[in-house]
Amino acid sequence: MFFQVLFKGLISSNTWYATLQFAGLLILPALGGVISERSGVVNIAMEGMMLTGAFASVMITLAMHNIGLPDFLSVILGVLGAILAGGLMALIHALVSINFKANQIISGIAINIIALGLTSYLVFILTPSGQGVPSLPGNLRLPTFPWGPLASIPFLGLALFQQNVIFYLALLILFGAQFLLFRTNIGLRIRAVGEHPQAADTAGVNVRLLRYMCVISSGLLSGLAGAYLALGVSGIFLDNMTNGRGFIALAAVIFGKYTAIGAAIACLIFGLGNGLSFALQDLNLGSLLNTLPYVFTLIALVGLVGRTTPPAADGIPYEPGSE
Amino acid sequence: MAVPLKQPETKEQRSAASSLAQWTRKVGAALGGPILAVLFALIAGAIVILITWPDKTVDPFRNIYNAYTTLFTGSFGSPTKISNTLVVVTPLIFTSLSVAIAFRAGLFNIGAAGQLAVGAMTADVIGLTYTSWPSWLLVPTMLLASILAGAVWGGIVGFLKAWRGAHEVVTTIMLNWIAFYVTDYLISSPRFTAPLGVGETNALPDNATLPPMVNYINQFFGTQLNPFLYRVDISILFALIAIVIYWFITSRTTFGYEIRVIGQNPKAAHYAGIPIKRNTFLVMAIAGAFSGLAGAVSLMGQEITLSLTGFSQSTTGFDAIAVALLGRTTAIGVLISSLFFGGLRSGTTDMQAIAHIDPNLVLIIEALVLFFIAAEFLPVLRRAMPGWVQWSRRPTLVPTASVTPGTDVTENGNGDAQNRVEISDLDKEE
Repeated sequence: MFFQVLFKGLISSNTWYATLQFAGLLILPALGGVISERSGVVNIAMEGMMLTGAFASVMITLAMHNIGLPDFLSVILGVLGAILAGGLMALIHALVSINFKANQIISGIAINIIALGLTSYLVFILTPSGQGVPSLPGNLRLPTFPWGPLASIPFLGLALFQQNVIFYLALLILFGAQFLLFRTNIGLRIRAVGEHPQAADTAGVNVRLLRYMCVISSGLLSGLAGAYLALGVSGIFLDNMTNGRGFIALAAVIFGKYTAIGAAIACLIFGLGNGLSFALQDLNLGSLLNTLPYVFTLIALVGLVGRTTPPAADGIPYEPGSE
Repeated sequence: MAVPLKQPETKEQRSAASSLAQWTRKVGAALGGPILAVLFALIAGAIVILITWPDKTVDPFRNIYNAYTTLFTGSFGSPTKISNTLVVVTPLIFTSLSVAIAFRAGLFNIGAAGQLAVGAMTADVIGLTYTSWPSWLLVPTMLLASILAGAVWGGIVGFLKAWRGAHEVVTTIMLNWIAFYVTDYLISSPRFTAPLGVGETNALPDNATLPPMVNYINQFFGTQLNPFLYRVDISILFALIAIVIYWFITSRTTFGYEIRVIGQNPKAAHYAGIPIKRNTFLVMAIAGAFSGLAGAVSLMGQEITLSLTGFSQSTTGFDAIAVALLGRTTAIGVLISSLFFGGLRSGTTDMQAIAHIDPNLVLIIEALVLFFIAAEFLPVLRRAMPGWVQWSRRPTLVPTASVTPGTDVTENGNGDAQNRVEISDLDKEE
């Protein structure tokens, strides 16, 4: 019975469409997390940065539309605004944890809380009589990428070639990030800063600047994911709409052993859990399936599928001159 | 590495005046940081109101004044309001103690929300299953079961930390979401869910609930207070007892001393022969027990039903961290700061109704308090202050965010050396 339903789910192209969509949403903040943690700054605030991005994308798109800009321009500005908003949140995290040498976990929690509070608060202020943001019309949403005839290939067409534009952008960023981190000079520096900042400093690397850039790029990527969620998938902004996706991305970072490709594979696995949940409805498993990403990550942490170890200086503020 | 030893002064060596001055300094040292953090957060909140100006019928400064006065009168302005505030404060005390005791051992318990969910769900399952049991048996069983369930959920974290070296921040986040989804599954399962598909469990029977405080007050003093107006239930007494227990554990037992040593210097603890692994497990289990009980009392005293996604949407776990940090993980500090945050929460109803300000402003203030505490900007400020207002030289009890295998010594903002050792690595040196 179970395997029958599972098999039926696995050969349905809807499952794979949902899987890839969910994975695409996760991969951006997960990459942000990888970059930030590799540079030695713990980031558990992807959730908040993503939520801020989602909020900014919808609000800016609507505002630009209302002042009479053409639709596609409004959407592009909305996405750019989302990226900036996520980056701004990350800037706070960077400032507090790099300059003030704050506890990065507390700072991350504070970012998550302030994102939740500020977005809900501003929805109340900015919408007439505070009744919430209206659903966006189709022409103000992010479109699917026009693959033309490829989109009508049976099975593969729906799963691979009918995704949102941001999905393909995320794929590009994924390979870009993996290349940047492990094949370039700057990637080497980032990893050095995360493993042994004193040595990197001695070798002439600007530790603070590099950490700033890495934390901020984690915010930019999370903000972009927020725009994908709000403008691409849901078409609306709701309070706390990220609903733990940022934390699944964090799980993917750890499960993927702090590499871009590893995180992407983790996102795919987690996405499959989500994609199958529709097909497995008959089994009455309900929300139990949603626990899979977290259970997998726990198992990985315990070391059953290869222990996962963070960069050596992850979470430690850098003090010039300390041993 | 040298541990600075402070020679204890005997009473004879100190004059009365200097001991008074010392006492004032001590109090000032303990209160200065938190009070300033709150003050700055409130000022920043005022700036948010000033910029957004939600109530256009009055001028923005009047709006700020209205916001904060209604926030206060709405939480402590009348006996009913105080009672409503205590309703919020009760579970907050338990979860904050949970976070605080973990902090003492240098552990970051982000998992209060998950432990609370597991505790509440366990109590609910028992309450809805053994409905025929008499109250005197059912209620204690539910409370004990919730304590046990929370302890297991927290204990897992301690176990993974001590024996596998898994960082507790990550495991608690993972276990939180597992708890949220498992409870959601149970809440929506046909056995417990209410008919008509409202996404709620059946209401607990009367013999599975905690009675309101006023029942006893009325009986004792012969008053006629209405339990629907004064909603606070007897679990507030449990919370006060829990605070005393927390104080006793942390400052009057060997265990409390040992976890403090572990939190401040694991290496010293190791060489002093303190059983680090066992204590790490125990402290997380106790932390989980506090949170599990929080879930049970708020279910049995107030909510009566559990609703779908209720646990994942609530901010209790974050609130608890803010309270524990603001209260500097002391028993009295937790009491005061949970009254503060509970007051902020329960005052929002009036703030929204009268000053027309969205309740989420309180979340913003809470986050700002956390930022100001986390940033430890106070040492920077202190240097600019004249000598007589100097406060805390103590290192804060915030554990270091290290996920590092290996040992290294860094300085915190106060200039005190902190040692960072992963517990699992201590074995290797033997």
